[in-house]
Amino acid sequence: MLNSPKRAIWEALLLAGVVFFLGFLLGFVFESSQTNKMNEYYLSSEFYLMDAIALNSLVDEGIFDCSSLYNAYSSFADRVYQEAILLQEYESSEQITEEMKIVHRRYDLLRTFLWANILKTSKTCENSPNIVVYLYEYNTEDLVKKATQNVWSKVLLDLKEEQGENILLIPIASDLNIDSLNVIIKNLNISTFPAVVINNNKIINELTSSKDIEKYLN
Amino acid sequence: MDFLTIILLVYDFISFYFFFFFFLVFFLNKKDFYKYPSFTKPYSLSIVIPCYNEEKNIGETIENLLNSNYKGLKKVIAVDDCSTDNSFKILKALEKKYKRLIVVQTPKNTGCAAGSKNYGVKFAKTELIGFIDGDSFPQKDAIGRMIGFFDNKKIAAVTSFILVKNRINRLTRLQSIEYQIIAFTRRLLGFIEAIYVTPGPLAVYRKSYFDKIGGFDEKNLTEDIEITWHFVSQGYKVAMSPESKVYTVAPTKINAWFKQRIRWNLGGIQTIFKYKTSFLKSGMLGKFILPLFVSSWVLGISGLFVLGYRIFRTVVVRILSTKYSIEAQTAIITLNDIQITPNVLLFFGAITLLLGMMFTLIALMHSREEFKKEKMYEVLIYAFFYLLVYPIVMIRSMYNYLRKKKSW
Repeated sequence: MLNSPKRAIWEALLLAGVVFFLGFLLGFVFESSQTNKMNEYYLSSEFYLMDAIALNSLVDEGIFDCSSLYNAYSSFADRVYQEAILLQEYESSEQITEEMKIVHRRYDLLRTFLWANILKTSKTCENSPNIVVYLYEYNTEDLVKKATQNVWSKVLLDLKEEQGENILLIPIASDLNIDSLNVIIKNLNISTFPAVVINNNKIINELTSSKDIEKYLN
Repeated sequence: MDFLTIILLVYDFISFYFFFFFFLVFFLNKKDFYKYPSFTKPYSLSIVIPCYNEEKNIGETIENLLNSNYKGLKKVIAVDDCSTDNSFKILKALEKKYKRLIVVQTPKNTGCAAGSKNYGVKFAKTELIGFIDGDSFPQKDAIGRMIGFFDNKKIAAVTSFILVKNRINRLTRLQSIEYQIIAFTRRLLGFIEAIYVTPGPLAVYRKSYFDKIGGFDEKNLTEDIEITWHFVSQGYKVAMSPESKVYTVAPTKINAWFKQRIRWNLGGIQTIFKYKTSFLKSGMLGKFILPLFVSSWVLGISGLFVLGYRIFRTVVVRILSTKYSIEAQTAIITLNDIQITPNVLLFFGAITLLLGMMFTLIALMHSREEFKKEKMYEVLIYAFFYLLVYPIVMIRSMYNYLRKKKSW
């Protein structure tokens, strides 16, 4: 009896430390790989937006038509929307690092850039598609607001599925300190979130169903 | 990294530590797991049975005990603590039948097992003194297998392998699994001289040491934990005999179970506070037993709060989302809502669960208690539901302790 090793107390500590460290490292590598993947998507999306903006300048020169430009914006918005879904999934699995939040911020900047360019384009090009911008709070701890935003996302997803290319859906987090976005928000007199901006003039703060948006679409 | 994630990571690390610790102790001592020393001399032994309203079991307990093959058993002292049922009458009838049985009654109800145990010890003059609960049934050879440990002069107490006798419903079968795991764990702790309890169903003490420390603390609700810590704090050793099996009656109803667990935990808290100055000092008590107890409390309560907080938030958001989704006539649940995304916490949680299940299965296999008949789904119920109730018991016990609600 009692021949035993109190050394187990220290060996267990070492073993737990090693397993914990390896798990932590694995988690870090996993999260970093997801961030890298999102960064690659981001770079590619950034390229597409720059291309769309280049097309915009060609419209000014009269060598490119408005309809094709709107198509380019639309395909870019759809692309970024799909990437946003993936980003949301990756963000929910991020526990150790906070890099995904930076990626999210960059994406929001990209979407703001898109929105600002569409605003600019709409001055010279008629027959623009319906622009639906969804402004939500990223850092909210308010459970009612979280639930509300959760349902608004679903309503907007339903709307997008119904309307297809007829609408350009741009979801942007309003509380990530993007100056250009803050200027637009201020200009539109939006102070409460979530909010939906339809075609840059109608602002909705109470959304009960997709019909509340549909009635303002062209 | 947010605060809750840090708490969960600390939780995982401590869980890993204890699982690895027990696995290491087990694998390093596997071949000695069932070993116990044979006795070189027949130490004289008296056994005290505290009895309060035990008319259903006391007769069987005494007859079972007197059937022991240990020849050194000189006296069985049954102490009736002023029972209000027929216990005393039954004991008196048995006293006439068995010469070795002495029946005594406390002058007034002591209100705790420690009181009647201490009272019974006054009638014993043997080298060893044992205690058996009035509803516990040791195997014929259980006591004899405990005696050899006393050849080591440092040993003050020897505990046994306690199992559930009445496996008659789901609750008692779950307790049966729990008792087997506790006994297995206690055996492992014995290898590092860190046994923290000598439970009431069967324990034997060296009487000179028992007298020296003043017997059981009658103010403590778990006198069996307190006396063990007292011995260890004095530098004595406590052993466990793996082949000394004793079967005890477990609560069959949830209310009785809850009440019993509250008492155990309250006693645990009392003992922690009594010996708090030994923390990280005084040999294995301060360096292992106390940290083990304290960390199990911290883990249990913090785990419940973190889990409760997360569940609360998720449920509130889900309920509100469902309400708003119905109003908005959109999908209540989408694939995104139920999708589980892999992350480091989930990974650590899976490892903890895996280690926990491995430990449970090894413990059940080593209790040699018809493991094949243990229904696997009951092991799962034990792991996923029974254990989750325990932090609630802990919180209620802490509440009772702070409100000074301390009674049997």
